[in-house]
Amino acid sequence: MSFSAIVVMVSSMLALWGVATLAMIYSMRQEDRKLTLLKEQGDFEPFSPAAQRDIEDWLARHPDGDEAREMRELLECQRQAMQNNARHFYPWPSIGAERQ
Amino acid sequence: MTITNTATNTSTTISREQWGSRFGYLMAIIGAMVGAGNIWRMPYVTGENGGGAFLIAYFVLLYLIAVPGLMGETALGRYTRQGLIGTFRKVYGNNRMVGLGLVILVFNIVLMSYYSSVVGWSIYYAYHALIGTFTQTGFDTAALWQSFSHNKVLNIGMHTIAMLMVTGILLLGIKGGIERMAKWMMPILTIALIAIAIRGLTLPGAMAGLEFSFSPNWEYLARGQTWLAALGQALFSTGLGWGIALTYGSYLGRNDDIPLGGGLFTAVGNTSFGLLAVFAVFPIVFAFGISPTSGPELAFVALASAFGSMTGGYVWALLFFAGFFFANLTTALAITEVGVTTCKEERNIPRSRAVLMICGLIWLLGIPSAINADILGYLDFVLGNWGLPLATFIIMITIGWKFDANRLRILSLNRGSDLYIPSAWEATVRYQIPLIMLGIMAYFLYSNLGEAPLKTLSGLFVLMLMIPLCMGVMKRRLEGQDSQHVAGGRLS
Repeated sequence: MSFSAIVVMVSSMLALWGVATLAMIYSMRQEDRKLTLLKEQGDFEPFSPAAQRDIEDWLARHPDGDEAREMRELLECQRQAMQNNARHFYPWPSIGAERQ
Repeated sequence: MTITNTATNTSTTISREQWGSRFGYLMAIIGAMVGAGNIWRMPYVTGENGGGAFLIAYFVLLYLIAVPGLMGETALGRYTRQGLIGTFRKVYGNNRMVGLGLVILVFNIVLMSYYSSVVGWSIYYAYHALIGTFTQTGFDTAALWQSFSHNKVLNIGMHTIAMLMVTGILLLGIKGGIERMAKWMMPILTIALIAIAIRGLTLPGAMAGLEFSFSPNWEYLARGQTWLAALGQALFSTGLGWGIALTYGSYLGRNDDIPLGGGLFTAVGNTSFGLLAVFAVFPIVFAFGISPTSGPELAFVALASAFGSMTGGYVWALLFFAGFFFANLTTALAITEVGVTTCKEERNIPRSRAVLMICGLIWLLGIPSAINADILGYLDFVLGNWGLPLATFIIMITIGWKFDANRLRILSLNRGSDLYIPSAWEATVRYQIPLIMLGIMAYFLYSNLGEAPLKTLSGLFVLMLMIPLCMGVMKRRLEGQDSQHVAGGRLS
Protein backbone atom coordinates (compact mmCIF):
# COMPACT_ATOMS: atom_id res chain seq x y z
CA MET A 1 0.00 0.00 0.00
CA SER A 2 1.21 3.51 -0.74
CA PHE A 3 2.12 5.85 2.12
CA SER A 4 -0.71 8.27 1.24
CA ALA A 5 -3.28 5.45 1.27
CA ILE A 6 -2.03 4.34 4.70
CA VAL A 7 -2.33 7.92 6.02
CA VAL A 8 -5.90 8.23 4.69
CA MET A 9 -6.83 4.81 6.06
CA VAL A 10 -5.50 5.53 9.55
CA SER A 11 -7.05 9.02 9.57
CA SER A 12 -10.42 7.57 8.55
CA MET A 13 -10.23 4.96 11.29
CA LEU A 14 -9.52 7.65 13.88
CA ALA A 15 -12.13 10.08 12.54
CA LEU A 16 -14.85 7.42 12.45
CA TRP A 17 -14.17 4.49 14.76
CA GLY A 18 -12.25 6.62 17.24
CA VAL A 19 -14.87 9.37 17.42
CA ALA A 20 -17.82 6.92 17.47
CA THR A 21 -16.28 4.82 20.25
CA LEU A 22 -15.41 7.85 22.36
CA ALA A 23 -18.85 9.37 21.82
CA MET A 24 -20.59 6.14 22.84
CA ILE A 25 -18.48 5.59 25.98
CA TYR A 26 -18.68 9.23 27.08
CA SER A 27 -22.42 9.40 26.43
CA MET A 28 -23.12 6.21 28.38
CA ARG A 29 -20.98 7.36 31.32
CA GLN A 30 -22.75 10.73 31.41
CA GLU A 31 -26.17 9.09 31.40
CA ASP A 32 -25.00 6.82 34.23
CA ARG A 33 -24.09 9.94 36.20
CA LYS A 34 -27.58 11.31 35.60
CA LEU A 35 -29.09 8.06 36.82
CA THR A 36 -26.97 8.17 39.98
CA LEU A 37 -28.10 11.74 40.67
CA LEU A 38 -31.72 10.76 40.12
CA LYS A 39 -31.44 7.83 42.49
CA GLU A 40 -29.64 9.83 45.16
CA GLN A 41 -31.48 13.14 45.07
CA GLY A 42 -34.40 12.57 42.71
CA ASP A 43 -33.49 15.42 40.39
CA PHE A 44 -30.69 17.35 38.72
CA GLU A 45 -30.41 20.57 36.79
CA PRO A 46 -31.40 20.08 33.11
CA PHE A 47 -29.25 22.87 31.66
CA SER A 48 -25.55 23.66 31.60
CA PRO A 49 -24.39 27.20 32.51
CA ALA A 50 -24.12 28.15 28.82
CA ALA A 51 -27.57 26.68 28.05
CA GLN A 52 -29.06 28.56 31.02
CA ARG A 53 -27.55 31.81 29.73
CA ASP A 54 -29.23 31.13 26.37
CA ILE A 55 -32.63 30.90 28.08
CA GLU A 56 -32.01 34.15 29.98
CA ASP A 57 -30.87 35.93 26.81
CA TRP A 58 -33.90 34.64 24.91
CA LEU A 59 -36.25 35.90 27.62
CA ALA A 60 -34.58 39.28 27.57
CA ARG A 61 -35.30 39.50 23.85
CA HIS A 62 -38.84 37.98 23.97
CA PRO A 63 -40.35 38.78 27.36
CA ASP A 64 -44.02 38.25 26.38
CA GLY A 65 -46.29 35.52 25.03
CA ASP A 66 -46.82 31.77 25.44
CA GLU A 67 -43.34 30.93 24.28
CA ALA A 68 -41.88 33.22 26.95
CA ARG A 69 -44.02 31.51 29.57
CA GLU A 70 -42.63 28.13 28.48
CA MET A 71 -39.07 29.47 28.74
CA ARG A 72 -39.76 30.97 32.16
CA GLU A 73 -41.06 27.65 33.42
CA LEU A 74 -37.89 25.95 32.22
CA LEU A 75 -35.75 28.57 33.92
CA GLU A 76 -37.73 28.14 37.11
CA CYS A 77 -37.21 24.35 36.98
CA GLN A 78 -33.51 24.97 36.52
CA ARG A 79 -33.35 27.37 39.48
CA GLN A 80 -35.26 25.00 41.74
CA ALA A 81 -33.03 22.09 40.76
CA MET A 82 -29.96 24.21 41.47
CA GLN A 83 -31.29 25.28 44.87
CA ASN A 84 -32.66 21.93 46.00
CA ASN A 85 -29.83 19.67 44.93
CA ALA A 86 -26.47 19.54 46.63
CA ARG A 87 -24.84 17.74 43.72
CA HIS A 88 -24.99 19.05 40.18
CA PHE A 89 -24.61 17.36 36.82
CA TYR A 90 -22.89 20.21 35.02
CA PRO A 91 -19.74 21.96 36.25
CA TRP A 92 -20.65 25.32 37.79
CA PRO A 93 -17.55 27.45 38.46
CA SER A 94 -19.06 29.60 41.17
CA ILE A 95 -20.18 26.64 43.28
CA GLY A 96 -17.10 24.51 42.77
CA ALA A 97 -16.11 24.73 46.43
CA GLU A 98 -19.61 23.78 47.55
CA ARG A 99 -19.57 20.68 45.35
CA GLN A 100 -16.41 19.43 46.99
CA MET B 1 -30.31 4.48 31.09
CA THR B 2 -33.16 6.73 30.12
CA ILE B 3 -33.91 9.60 32.41
CA THR B 4 -37.50 10.41 33.16
CA ASN B 5 -37.97 13.52 35.15
CA THR B 6 -41.58 14.54 35.10
CA ALA B 7 -40.97 17.18 37.76
CA THR B 8 -39.08 19.32 35.28
CA ASN B 9 -41.42 18.81 32.35
CA THR B 10 -43.01 21.97 31.16
CA SER B 11 -44.78 20.68 28.11
CA THR B 12 -47.74 18.37 28.08
CA THR B 13 -46.49 14.95 29.11
CA ILE B 14 -48.45 11.97 27.94
CA SER B 15 -47.94 8.41 29.05
CA ARG B 16 -45.36 7.22 26.58
CA GLU B 17 -43.02 4.31 26.37
CA GLN B 18 -39.31 5.14 26.61
CA TRP B 19 -36.03 3.51 25.68
CA GLY B 20 -34.93 1.20 28.46
CA SER B 21 -31.23 2.06 28.39
CA ARG B 22 -28.79 4.44 26.79
CA PHE B 23 -26.97 1.58 25.08
CA GLY B 24 -30.31 0.31 23.78
CA TYR B 25 -31.22 3.67 22.25
CA LEU B 26 -27.78 4.06 20.68
CA MET B 27 -27.92 0.58 19.15
CA ALA B 28 -31.49 1.11 17.94
CA ILE B 29 -30.74 4.43 16.24
CA ILE B 30 -27.50 3.15 14.71
CA GLY B 31 -29.34 0.02 13.58
CA ALA B 32 -31.98 2.23 12.00
CA MET B 33 -29.38 4.06 9.92
CA VAL B 34 -27.05 1.17 9.02
CA GLY B 35 -28.60 -0.73 6.15
CA ALA B 36 -27.83 -2.28 2.80
CA GLY B 37 -26.34 0.97 1.48
CA ASN B 38 -23.53 0.91 4.06
CA ILE B 39 -22.42 -2.55 3.01
CA TRP B 40 -22.97 -2.75 -0.72
CA ARG B 41 -22.66 0.92 -1.70
CA MET B 42 -20.18 2.75 0.54
CA PRO B 43 -17.05 0.69 -0.36
CA TYR B 44 -17.69 1.02 -4.07
CA VAL B 45 -18.60 4.71 -4.02
CA THR B 46 -15.46 5.43 -2.00
CA GLY B 47 -13.20 3.65 -4.46
CA GLU B 48 -14.91 5.07 -7.53
CA ASN B 49 -14.73 8.68 -6.40
CA GLY B 50 -11.11 9.15 -5.58
CA GLY B 51 -10.72 7.02 -2.43
CA GLY B 52 -9.20 9.28 0.20
CA ALA B 53 -10.39 12.40 -1.60
CA PHE B 54 -13.96 11.14 -1.43
CA LEU B 55 -13.57 10.34 2.27
CA ILE B 56 -12.37 13.89 2.98
CA ALA B 57 -15.35 15.36 1.13
CA TYR B 58 -17.57 12.90 2.95
CA PHE B 59 -16.25 13.79 6.41
CA VAL B 60 -16.70 17.51 5.73
CA LEU B 61 -20.33 17.01 4.70
CA LEU B 62 -21.02 14.51 7.45
CA TYR B 63 -19.94 16.91 10.18
CA LEU B 64 -21.37 20.03 8.51
CA ILE B 65 -24.75 18.65 7.50
CA ALA B 66 -25.68 15.17 8.73
CA VAL B 67 -24.62 15.63 12.35
CA PRO B 68 -26.41 18.99 12.89
CA GLY B 69 -29.45 17.82 10.91
CA LEU B 70 -29.89 14.66 12.97
CA MET B 71 -29.54 16.70 16.15
CA GLY B 72 -32.40 18.95 15.04
CA GLU B 73 -34.69 16.13 13.95
CA THR B 74 -34.16 14.18 17.19
CA ALA B 75 -34.59 17.32 19.30
CA LEU B 76 -37.92 18.11 17.61
CA GLY B 77 -39.21 14.57 18.24
CA ARG B 78 -38.11 14.66 21.87
CA TYR B 79 -39.77 18.08 22.33
CA THR B 80 -43.14 17.15 20.83
CA ARG B 81 -43.10 13.51 22.04
CA GLN B 82 -45.29 12.72 19.06
CA GLY B 83 -45.01 10.84 15.80
CA LEU B 84 -44.79 12.57 12.41
CA ILE B 85 -48.30 13.95 12.08
CA GLY B 86 -48.61 14.82 15.78
CA THR B 87 -45.33 16.74 15.53
CA PHE B 88 -46.50 18.69 12.50
CA ARG B 89 -49.79 19.45 14.25
CA LYS B 90 -47.94 20.73 17.29
CA VAL B 91 -45.72 22.95 15.15
CA TYR B 92 -48.13 24.20 12.47
CA GLY B 93 -51.39 24.09 14.44
CA ASN B 94 -54.41 22.05 13.46
CA ASN B 95 -54.58 23.00 9.80
CA ARG B 96 -53.87 21.71 6.30
CA MET B 97 -50.09 22.16 6.74
CA VAL B 98 -50.19 18.98 8.86
CA GLY B 99 -50.49 17.31 5.46
CA LEU B 100 -46.73 17.84 5.07
CA GLY B 101 -46.24 15.29 7.83
CA LEU B 102 -48.55 12.95 5.95
CA VAL B 103 -46.40 13.38 2.83
CA ILE B 104 -43.33 12.16 4.74
CA LEU B 105 -45.33 9.31 6.25
CA VAL B 106 -46.43 8.19 2.77
CA PHE B 107 -42.77 8.27 1.60
CA ASN B 108 -41.81 6.05 4.54
CA ILE B 109 -44.54 3.55 3.78
CA VAL B 110 -43.62 3.44 0.09
CA LEU B 111 -39.92 3.15 0.98
CA MET B 112 -40.66 0.23 3.29
CA SER B 113 -42.90 -1.43 0.70
CA TYR B 114 -39.85 -2.14 -1.48
CA TYR B 115 -37.18 -2.24 1.24
CA SER B 116 -39.07 -5.25 2.58
CA SER B 117 -38.04 -7.09 -0.59
CA VAL B 118 -34.39 -6.26 0.14
CA VAL B 119 -34.84 -7.68 3.65
CA GLY B 120 -36.41 -10.74 2.01
CA TRP B 121 -33.37 -11.19 -0.26
CA SER B 122 -31.06 -11.05 2.76
CA ILE B 123 -33.19 -13.62 4.61
CA TYR B 124 -33.01 -15.92 1.60
CA TYR B 125 -29.23 -15.62 1.38
CA ALA B 126 -28.77 -15.96 5.15
CA TYR B 127 -30.76 -19.20 4.90
CA HIS B 128 -28.55 -20.46 2.05
CA ALA B 129 -25.45 -19.53 4.04
CA LEU B 130 -26.85 -21.49 6.98
CA ILE B 131 -27.42 -24.65 4.93
CA GLY B 132 -24.00 -24.30 3.32
CA THR B 133 -25.12 -23.71 -0.27
CA PHE B 134 -22.22 -21.40 -1.15
CA THR B 135 -19.53 -23.89 -0.14
CA GLN B 136 -20.80 -26.63 -2.48
CA THR B 137 -18.22 -27.52 -5.11
CA GLY B 138 -18.69 -25.59 -8.34
CA PHE B 139 -21.74 -23.75 -7.08
CA ASP B 140 -22.86 -20.96 -9.43
CA THR B 141 -23.94 -17.93 -7.35
CA ALA B 142 -24.93 -15.95 -10.46
CA ALA B 143 -27.37 -18.72 -11.41
CA LEU B 144 -28.84 -18.70 -7.89
CA TRP B 145 -29.36 -14.93 -8.07
CA GLN B 146 -30.91 -15.20 -11.54
CA SER B 147 -33.31 -17.97 -10.55
CA PHE B 148 -34.23 -16.21 -7.31
CA SER B 149 -34.80 -12.89 -9.07
CA HIS B 150 -37.15 -14.49 -11.60
CA ASN B 151 -39.11 -16.56 -9.09
CA LYS B 152 -42.09 -14.35 -8.30
CA VAL B 153 -43.70 -16.69 -5.77
CA LEU B 154 -40.44 -17.04 -3.86
CA ASN B 155 -39.96 -13.27 -3.82
CA ILE B 156 -43.48 -12.72 -2.49
CA GLY B 157 -42.79 -15.41 0.09
CA MET B 158 -39.57 -13.74 1.25
CA HIS B 159 -41.29 -10.34 1.32
CA THR B 160 -44.03 -11.93 3.46
CA ILE B 161 -41.51 -13.52 5.84
CA ALA B 162 -39.69 -10.20 6.14
CA MET B 163 -42.91 -8.38 7.01
CA LEU B 164 -43.94 -11.11 9.46
CA MET B 165 -40.60 -10.70 11.25
CA VAL B 166 -40.99 -6.91 11.35
CA THR B 167 -44.56 -7.28 12.61
CA GLY B 168 -43.56 -9.76 15.32
CA ILE B 169 -40.75 -7.56 16.64
CA LEU B 170 -42.78 -4.34 16.53
CA LEU B 171 -45.63 -6.02 18.41
CA LEU B 172 -43.20 -6.39 21.33
CA GLY B 173 -42.91 -2.61 21.56
CA ILE B 174 -40.10 -0.05 21.53
CA LYS B 175 -38.20 -1.40 24.52
CA GLY B 176 -39.14 -5.07 24.31
CA GLY B 177 -38.97 -5.29 20.52
CA ILE B 178 -36.81 -2.76 18.67
CA GLU B 179 -34.37 -2.05 21.51
CA ARG B 180 -33.95 -5.65 22.57
CA MET B 181 -33.24 -6.78 18.98
CA ALA B 182 -30.85 -3.90 18.23
CA LYS B 183 -28.87 -4.55 21.43
CA TRP B 184 -28.03 -8.01 20.08
CA MET B 185 -27.99 -7.50 16.35
CA MET B 186 -25.71 -4.47 16.10
CA PRO B 187 -22.87 -5.94 18.21
CA ILE B 188 -23.17 -9.20 16.23
CA LEU B 189 -23.00 -7.24 12.96
CA THR B 190 -19.91 -5.41 14.23
CA ILE B 191 -18.16 -8.61 15.28
CA ALA B 192 -19.11 -10.33 12.02
CA LEU B 193 -17.69 -7.51 9.87
CA ILE B 194 -14.50 -7.32 11.97
CA ALA B 195 -13.98 -11.07 11.70
CA ILE B 196 -14.54 -11.02 7.92
CA ALA B 197 -12.21 -8.02 7.58
CA ILE B 198 -9.43 -9.82 9.49
CA ARG B 199 -9.91 -12.92 7.34
CA GLY B 200 -10.05 -10.88 4.15
CA LEU B 201 -6.87 -8.97 4.94
CA THR B 202 -4.93 -12.22 5.30
CA LEU B 203 -5.77 -13.23 1.72
CA PRO B 204 -3.10 -12.77 -0.96
CA GLY B 205 -3.79 -9.64 -3.00
CA ALA B 206 -6.12 -8.18 -0.39
CA MET B 207 -4.07 -4.99 -0.05
CA ALA B 208 -5.07 -3.97 -3.58
CA GLY B 209 -8.63 -3.61 -2.26
CA LEU B 210 -7.50 -1.21 0.44
CA GLU B 211 -5.33 0.65 -2.07
CA PHE B 212 -8.40 1.05 -4.34
CA SER B 213 -10.50 2.34 -1.45
CA PHE B 214 -8.06 4.61 0.36
CA SER B 215 -5.53 5.78 -2.21
CA PRO B 216 -6.23 9.53 -2.47
CA ASN B 217 -6.68 10.96 -5.95
CA TRP B 218 -6.65 14.60 -4.98
CA GLU B 219 -7.92 15.88 -8.32
CA TYR B 220 -11.26 14.28 -7.44
CA LEU B 221 -11.71 16.89 -4.72
CA ALA B 222 -12.09 19.53 -7.44
CA ARG B 223 -14.85 17.55 -9.18
CA GLY B 224 -18.47 18.35 -8.44
CA GLN B 225 -19.39 14.68 -8.94
CA THR B 226 -17.21 13.64 -5.97
CA TRP B 227 -18.94 16.11 -3.66
CA LEU B 228 -22.36 15.10 -4.95
CA ALA B 229 -21.60 11.41 -4.37
CA ALA B 230 -20.31 12.25 -0.88
CA LEU B 231 -23.40 14.32 -0.19
CA GLY B 232 -25.72 11.58 -1.39
CA GLN B 233 -23.95 8.98 0.74
CA ALA B 234 -23.85 11.26 3.81
CA LEU B 235 -27.54 12.13 3.57
CA PHE B 236 -29.10 8.88 2.38
CA SER B 237 -26.96 6.67 4.57
CA THR B 238 -27.80 8.60 7.74
CA GLY B 239 -31.52 8.76 6.92
CA LEU B 240 -31.61 12.45 7.73
CA GLY B 241 -35.07 14.01 7.53
CA TRP B 242 -37.11 10.88 6.90
CA GLY B 243 -38.87 11.01 10.27
CA ILE B 244 -36.89 8.11 11.75
CA ALA B 245 -34.70 10.21 14.07
CA LEU B 246 -37.81 12.24 14.96
CA THR B 247 -39.79 9.13 15.86
CA TYR B 248 -36.97 7.50 17.84
CA GLY B 249 -36.27 10.85 19.52
CA SER B 250 -39.90 11.04 20.66
CA TYR B 251 -39.23 8.02 22.91
CA LEU B 252 -36.28 9.72 24.65
CA GLY B 253 -36.61 11.03 28.19
CA ARG B 254 -36.83 14.80 28.77
CA ASN B 255 -33.29 15.04 30.12
CA ASP B 256 -31.58 12.51 27.88
CA ASP B 257 -28.70 13.81 25.81
CA ILE B 258 -29.33 14.47 22.11
CA PRO B 259 -26.28 16.17 20.55
CA LEU B 260 -23.77 13.47 21.36
CA GLY B 261 -25.96 10.37 21.03
CA GLY B 262 -28.66 11.41 18.57
CA GLY B 263 -26.35 13.56 16.43
CA LEU B 264 -22.64 12.82 16.53
CA PHE B 265 -22.73 9.12 17.43
CA THR B 266 -25.58 8.36 15.04
CA ALA B 267 -23.95 9.96 12.02
CA VAL B 268 -20.34 8.97 12.72
CA GLY B 269 -21.27 5.52 14.02
CA ASN B 270 -23.32 4.86 10.91
CA THR B 271 -20.39 5.80 8.70
CA SER B 272 -18.11 3.67 10.85
CA PHE B 273 -20.05 0.66 9.62
CA GLY B 274 -19.47 1.86 6.06
CA LEU B 275 -15.73 1.97 6.78
CA LEU B 276 -15.90 -1.47 8.36
CA ALA B 277 -17.63 -2.71 5.21
CA VAL B 278 -14.74 -1.30 3.14
CA PHE B 279 -12.35 -3.48 5.16
CA ALA B 280 -14.66 -6.50 5.05
CA VAL B 281 -15.66 -6.38 1.40
CA PHE B 282 -12.91 -4.94 -0.77
CA PRO B 283 -9.93 -7.05 0.31
CA ILE B 284 -12.01 -10.15 -0.60
CA VAL B 285 -13.23 -8.61 -3.85
CA PHE B 286 -9.67 -7.84 -4.96
CA ALA B 287 -8.16 -11.06 -3.60
CA PHE B 288 -10.54 -13.05 -5.79
CA GLY B 289 -10.13 -10.78 -8.79
CA ILE B 290 -13.81 -9.81 -8.80
CA SER B 291 -14.75 -6.64 -10.62
CA PRO B 292 -15.64 -4.00 -8.01
CA THR B 293 -19.29 -3.11 -8.24
CA SER B 294 -22.13 -1.96 -6.02
CA GLY B 295 -25.66 -3.11 -5.42
CA PRO B 296 -27.19 -6.57 -5.01
CA GLU B 297 -24.70 -8.23 -7.38
CA LEU B 298 -21.79 -7.36 -5.07
CA ALA B 299 -23.30 -9.12 -2.07
CA PHE B 300 -25.36 -11.85 -3.66
CA VAL B 301 -23.17 -12.87 -6.57
CA ALA B 302 -19.57 -11.72 -6.12
CA LEU B 303 -19.15 -12.09 -2.37
CA ALA B 304 -21.25 -15.27 -2.13
CA SER B 305 -18.97 -16.78 -4.76
CA ALA B 306 -15.81 -15.58 -2.98
CA PHE B 307 -16.94 -17.02 0.35
CA GLY B 308 -17.52 -20.35 -1.33
CA SER B 309 -13.91 -20.42 -2.50
CA MET B 310 -12.40 -19.46 0.86
CA THR B 311 -11.10 -21.82 3.53
CA GLY B 312 -13.78 -21.94 6.21
CA GLY B 313 -16.13 -20.31 3.70
CA TYR B 314 -19.21 -21.61 5.51
CA VAL B 315 -18.43 -19.52 8.60
CA TRP B 316 -17.56 -16.37 6.63
CA ALA B 317 -20.65 -16.62 4.43
CA LEU B 318 -22.86 -17.19 7.46
CA LEU B 319 -21.31 -14.27 9.36
CA PHE B 320 -21.65 -11.95 6.38
CA PHE B 321 -25.20 -12.80 5.38
CA ALA B 322 -26.46 -12.96 8.98
CA GLY B 323 -24.88 -9.55 9.63
CA PHE B 324 -26.30 -8.19 6.37
CA PHE B 325 -29.74 -9.45 7.34
CA PHE B 326 -29.47 -7.83 10.80
CA ALA B 327 -28.45 -4.51 9.22
CA ASN B 328 -31.45 -4.60 6.88
CA LEU B 329 -33.90 -5.77 9.52
CA THR B 330 -33.05 -3.04 12.05
CA THR B 331 -33.51 -0.44 9.29
CA ALA B 332 -36.83 -1.99 8.28
CA LEU B 333 -38.01 -1.83 11.90
CA ALA B 334 -37.21 1.88 12.05
CA ILE B 335 -38.89 2.78 8.76
CA THR B 336 -42.03 0.85 9.75
CA GLU B 337 -42.04 2.30 13.28
CA VAL B 338 -42.49 5.80 11.81
CA GLY B 339 -45.88 4.67 10.50
CA VAL B 340 -46.78 2.62 13.58
CA THR B 341 -46.17 5.46 16.06
CA THR B 342 -48.12 7.91 13.91
CA CYS B 343 -51.01 5.50 13.28
CA LYS B 344 -51.29 4.64 16.98
CA GLU B 345 -51.49 8.30 17.96
CA GLU B 346 -53.67 9.57 15.16
CA ARG B 347 -56.27 6.82 15.38
CA ASN B 348 -55.93 6.51 19.15
CA ILE B 349 -55.71 2.73 18.96
CA PRO B 350 -53.57 0.15 20.82
CA ARG B 351 -50.04 -0.33 19.52
CA SER B 352 -50.71 -3.92 18.45
CA ARG B 353 -53.54 -2.80 16.19
CA ALA B 354 -51.43 -0.02 14.70
CA VAL B 355 -48.62 -2.52 14.01
CA LEU B 356 -50.98 -4.91 12.26
CA MET B 357 -52.58 -2.12 10.20
CA ILE B 358 -49.30 -0.54 9.04
CA CYS B 359 -47.49 -3.83 8.45
CA GLY B 360 -50.51 -5.20 6.59
CA LEU B 361 -50.63 -2.11 4.39
CA ILE B 362 -46.91 -2.29 3.68
CA TRP B 363 -47.14 -5.99 2.87
CA LEU B 364 -49.93 -5.32 0.39
CA LEU B 365 -48.15 -2.37 -1.22
CA GLY B 366 -44.91 -4.35 -1.36
CA ILE B 367 -46.25 -7.17 -3.49
CA PRO B 368 -45.73 -5.38 -6.86
CA SER B 369 -42.09 -4.62 -5.93
CA ALA B 370 -41.57 -8.24 -4.86
CA ILE B 371 -42.96 -9.49 -8.17
CA ASN B 372 -41.32 -7.01 -10.48
CA ALA B 373 -37.83 -5.60 -9.97
CA ASP B 374 -38.64 -2.77 -12.40
CA ILE B 375 -41.32 -1.48 -10.02
CA LEU B 376 -38.85 -1.66 -7.15
CA GLY B 377 -36.30 0.20 -9.27
CA TYR B 378 -38.83 2.87 -10.28
CA LEU B 379 -39.93 3.52 -6.70
CA ASP B 380 -36.30 3.69 -5.56
CA PHE B 381 -35.53 6.08 -8.44
CA VAL B 382 -38.38 8.46 -7.55
CA LEU B 383 -37.96 8.31 -3.78
CA GLY B 384 -34.16 8.36 -3.81
CA ASN B 385 -33.89 11.25 -6.24
CA TRP B 386 -36.72 13.49 -5.04
CA GLY B 387 -38.94 11.94 -2.38
CA LEU B 388 -36.41 11.62 0.42
CA PRO B 389 -34.66 14.96 -0.31
CA LEU B 390 -38.12 16.56 -0.28
CA ALA B 391 -38.87 14.94 3.09
CA THR B 392 -35.57 16.26 4.48
CA PHE B 393 -36.33 19.72 3.05
CA ILE B 394 -39.77 19.76 4.69
CA ILE B 395 -38.46 18.67 8.11
CA MET B 396 -35.54 21.13 8.07
CA ILE B 397 -37.75 24.05 7.02
CA THR B 398 -40.17 23.08 9.79
CA ILE B 399 -37.38 23.02 12.38
CA GLY B 400 -35.46 26.02 11.12
CA TRP B 401 -38.24 28.45 10.28
CA LYS B 402 -41.66 27.40 11.55
CA PHE B 403 -40.64 26.08 14.96
CA ASP B 404 -37.55 28.34 15.04
CA ALA B 405 -34.15 26.71 15.25
CA ASN B 406 -33.09 29.12 17.99
CA ARG B 407 -36.02 28.13 20.19
CA LEU B 408 -35.54 24.41 19.56
CA ARG B 409 -31.85 24.64 20.42
CA ILE B 410 -32.63 26.33 23.72
CA LEU B 411 -35.72 24.29 24.66
CA SER B 412 -34.75 20.81 23.61
CA LEU B 413 -31.33 20.37 22.00
CA ASN B 414 -29.26 21.70 24.90
CA ARG B 415 -31.47 20.19 27.57
CA GLY B 416 -29.62 17.43 29.43
CA SER B 417 -26.99 17.48 26.69
CA ASP B 418 -23.51 16.05 27.06
CA LEU B 419 -22.27 18.54 24.49
CA TYR B 420 -23.27 22.23 24.37
CA ILE B 421 -24.45 23.29 20.91
CA PRO B 422 -23.80 26.95 20.07
CA SER B 423 -25.97 29.22 17.92
CA ALA B 424 -23.94 28.47 14.76
CA TRP B 425 -26.00 25.25 14.51
CA GLU B 426 -29.10 27.28 13.67
CA ALA B 427 -27.77 28.54 10.33
CA THR B 428 -27.05 24.98 9.21
CA VAL B 429 -30.64 23.93 9.79
CA ARG B 430 -32.19 27.13 8.42
CA TYR B 431 -30.11 27.67 5.30
CA GLN B 432 -27.48 25.06 4.54
CA ILE B 433 -29.51 21.84 4.56
CA PRO B 434 -32.67 23.18 2.83
CA LEU B 435 -30.61 24.84 0.10
CA ILE B 436 -28.56 21.71 -0.44
CA MET B 437 -31.75 19.63 -0.68
CA LEU B 438 -33.15 21.98 -3.32
CA GLY B 439 -29.83 21.77 -5.17
CA ILE B 440 -29.86 17.97 -5.07
CA MET B 441 -33.42 17.76 -6.39
CA ALA B 442 -32.61 20.25 -9.18
CA TYR B 443 -29.42 18.37 -10.12
CA PHE B 444 -31.21 15.01 -10.22
CA LEU B 445 -33.92 16.56 -12.38
CA TYR B 446 -31.31 18.01 -14.75
CA SER B 447 -29.27 14.81 -14.94
CA ASN B 448 -32.20 12.40 -15.33
CA LEU B 449 -34.47 14.39 -17.61
CA GLY B 450 -32.39 13.64 -20.70
CA GLU B 451 -31.73 9.97 -19.90
CA ALA B 452 -35.11 8.89 -18.54
CA PRO B 453 -37.65 11.61 -19.29
CA LEU B 454 -40.75 9.45 -18.78
CA LYS B 455 -39.61 8.07 -15.44
CA THR B 456 -38.47 11.50 -14.28
CA LEU B 457 -41.60 13.41 -15.28
CA SER B 458 -44.05 10.78 -14.07
CA GLY B 459 -42.23 10.48 -10.75
CA LEU B 460 -42.12 14.22 -10.27
CA PHE B 461 -45.79 14.54 -11.21
CA VAL B 462 -46.80 11.98 -8.58
CA LEU B 463 -44.62 13.65 -5.97
CA MET B 464 -45.92 17.13 -6.71
CA LEU B 465 -49.46 15.80 -6.60
CA MET B 466 -48.77 14.24 -3.20
CA ILE B 467 -48.37 17.59 -1.40
CA PRO B 468 -51.80 19.14 -2.23
CA LEU B 469 -53.42 15.70 -1.92
CA CYS B 470 -52.09 15.13 1.60
CA MET B 471 -52.95 18.69 2.60
CA GLY B 472 -56.48 18.13 1.28
CA VAL B 473 -56.79 14.86 3.22
CA MET B 474 -55.76 16.56 6.46
CA LYS B 475 -58.12 19.48 5.80
CA ARG B 476 -61.06 17.12 5.24
CA ARG B 477 -60.14 15.16 8.35
CA LEU B 478 -60.05 18.39 10.34
CA GLU B 479 -63.45 19.44 8.97
CA GLY B 480 -64.81 15.99 9.86
CA GLN B 481 -63.51 16.32 13.42
CA ASP B 482 -65.04 19.80 13.72
CA SER B 483 -68.47 18.60 12.56
CA GLN B 484 -68.27 15.66 15.01
CA HIS B 485 -67.48 18.09 17.82
CA VAL B 486 -70.43 20.29 16.86
CA ALA B 487 -72.77 17.29 16.68
CA GLY B 488 -71.41 15.99 19.96
CA GLY B 489 -71.96 19.38 21.54
CA ARG B 490 -75.59 19.53 20.38
CA LEU B 491 -76.29 16.04 21.64
CA SER B 492 -74.82 16.75 25.03
